[in-house]
Amino acid sequence: MEIRNPARCIGCYSCVFACSRHLFNVVDPTRTAVFVELDRKGGRAPKVSMCRFCKEPECAYACPHGALQPLPEGGITLTPSKCAPCTTYDCVEACQYKVLVLDREKKIPILCDRCGDCAKYCPHNVFWYTEAPGI
Amino acid sequence: MNSRVLYVDLSECKSRVEDRRDLFESMLGGVGVASQILLEESKPRIDPFSPEAPIIFATGPLTGIYPCMAKAVALFKSPLTGNLGETHAGGHFATALATAGYGALVIKGSALHPQVLKIRDDRVELKTASSLWGLGTRAVDEALAEPIKTGLQSIAAIGPAGEHMVLYSNVIVDLHHHFGRLGLGAVLGAKKIKAISIIGTKSITLEKPNAVKAFYEKIEHEVVATDKMLKYHNLGTPSNVLELNALGALPTRNFRERRFEGAEEMSGERFAETVFRRKVTCTNCPVACIHLGAFTKSFAPEHERGRSEIIKEELVVAYNYEPMFALGSNLGISEPSRILELIELCEDLGLDAMMTGSVLAWVTEACERGVLDEKILGIKPKWGDPDNIYPQMIRRIAESKDPFYAKLAQGLVKASERYGGNEFAASLGGNSPAGYATGYGHIVGTLVGARHSHLSNSGYSIDQQIISGKAKVDDIAEFLVRQENWLYVLYSLVACYFSRSVYTPEYVVEALTTVGINTTKEELEKLGMKVFHNLYKFKMQEGFDLEKQYIPKLLKELDTPIGRLEPQTLNKIVKRYIALREREGLKISREEKTLADLLLPSDKD
Repeated sequence: MEIRNPARCIGCYSCVFACSRHLFNVVDPTRTAVFVELDRKGGRAPKVSMCRFCKEPECAYACPHGALQPLPEGGITLTPSKCAPCTTYDCVEACQYKVLVLDREKKIPILCDRCGDCAKYCPHNVFWYTEAPGI
Repeated sequence: MNSRVLYVDLSECKSRVEDRRDLFESMLGGVGVASQILLEESKPRIDPFSPEAPIIFATGPLTGIYPCMAKAVALFKSPLTGNLGETHAGGHFATALATAGYGALVIKGSALHPQVLKIRDDRVELKTASSLWGLGTRAVDEALAEPIKTGLQSIAAIGPAGEHMVLYSNVIVDLHHHFGRLGLGAVLGAKKIKAISIIGTKSITLEKPNAVKAFYEKIEHEVVATDKMLKYHNLGTPSNVLELNALGALPTRNFRERRFEGAEEMSGERFAETVFRRKVTCTNCPVACIHLGAFTKSFAPEHERGRSEIIKEELVVAYNYEPMFALGSNLGISEPSRILELIELCEDLGLDAMMTGSVLAWVTEACERGVLDEKILGIKPKWGDPDNIYPQMIRRIAESKDPFYAKLAQGLVKASERYGGNEFAASLGGNSPAGYATGYGHIVGTLVGARHSHLSNSGYSIDQQIISGKAKVDDIAEFLVRQENWLYVLYSLVACYFSRSVYTPEYVVEALTTVGINTTKEELEKLGMKVFHNLYKFKMQEGFDLEKQYIPKLLKELDTPIGRLEPQTLNKIVKRYIALREREGLKISREEKTLADLLLPSDKD
């Protein structure tokens, strides 16, 4: 799961809304794990971003409660019960790509679960998605 | 269903929210709901510039949920036509309003000083904006844009044209979209609202998320993987240029001719090869019909402090067929970069490009015929604008200072009443028609349409069927009524006109079921009719008289692919249309009718 062709983005938010439908069963431009930031004048492609599934995730290293744990194949996993009481939000600060965002309602990070819906509904193949073997 | 209506009173600087579930349940949303609110809020024969005149923005039950449902509708009293103002804009406006938690927004009253209306979810504020007054729409957007990672922001701004209450000034939405045509810019200008900024960060809740996901997959396939909307995705509406030219239906030089020698140069194909840069789109629309073209402009000489200019700046502007026809073929201009420059000027000043083009075309013809005295004007515009004076004329229209240009700023009807030459002022129902010299359907459709637009009832499309032998002139009135009754269902959702072949009645029924609205095709068609009747009730209340509409000779005897139009046939179609509508129980005619008059021509046979 990665962003391969950001220049093709038209800024339709199909990925964003697909993500919020999948993760939260709602349509919501803020409750998403994929982000589209427009160049309003339209001269440049919007900035599309999402989790890069780092092998050495800064967010997990920064987590003071061990709620975020690195996964061997890259990326992170979250234990909500350990995360919920925390108000430091160190993880959000730590992410170099600024793609770890808190859920407005639950105040815990929104994690991409690699469902591929963003890629599925992108009309311009901005994303690249494949079923990883063995997961 | 999001049935919360935000009422903003500018005079009192107050706002309140009312749950209008009754309205949204009976009228769906969009034009349906807005038409009810307009009838509730607008006093008969109201002055469109008075503080009490309302503006109603509405979204629909599918806004944000499905593709091509990103339009917002605005209803108001049009200062241009003196009756219904109806306009639809894309961009992020509808979805931002919906995710801010509102189904509709009603603005009344008038501010004393320039203000920006800022809505951020539940927070509604008026912020003094004297420093923005006088700015072009581009600069306003830049000033109000907020760096947001998530959430949607929409900025709807007026330019100097709206401030000076040019009767065909637009509200520019997110730089590339418009509440266009009927003077909403001037109405906001009169209320001293320079811009509306909406930020939405809330959820649109889904009653049946799984049903929504399943239907989304189906409808998205129709939009993206079939050829139903391919035209808009590829070249966009500019593909019309060569098609219409080949047909002999491309209005050229003020509708005088219907083939343009520069068609090849101004074609969508040529634009795509030369000036095209990127495509942009509305929220949750994978089609991306908005094509942006780039042109370079020298910095103004004063910026170079007298030195020779070598550096140019590149500007990007959206182009589509209507402004290209209005500021291109209809003025005899074919060069893409010049057409883009004129479009950009209209956009920045906040002028409606279509009416502006028609006004310039009328002035040019009036000078040619000696109706306007070039000595008094001090300029002599010519087809193709070899002296490059149109830009300066457009600026002066937006300024509205000079009496001549202030008259032009009132539109074709008033300008030609004052200076003569109304027989060649391309105007129908007070609006300038879109660029189709296709036949009776377009002329009658625009004339009878609630907002006097080709999007009211697709009259041009039955013309194309007539040209290819698939329909007859006798079918036009029925076609228009049928189209209107269905389109106003789509306009109550609020669907994009371009998605009409995707959102068939069956799909609309299915889509509504997934959001908990159970209805049938028949019920929807009745609703569409009711919505249309509402709009005409407003038009009638404001004094509109369809039978007394002046049709200029230029359009009454227009040369089209099916030959020169005949005024008697036009009249016959209008009469039949009125009879069909009156049979539905809508009062359109102001003349006393006998029973025999109400019979349709076919009933008499």
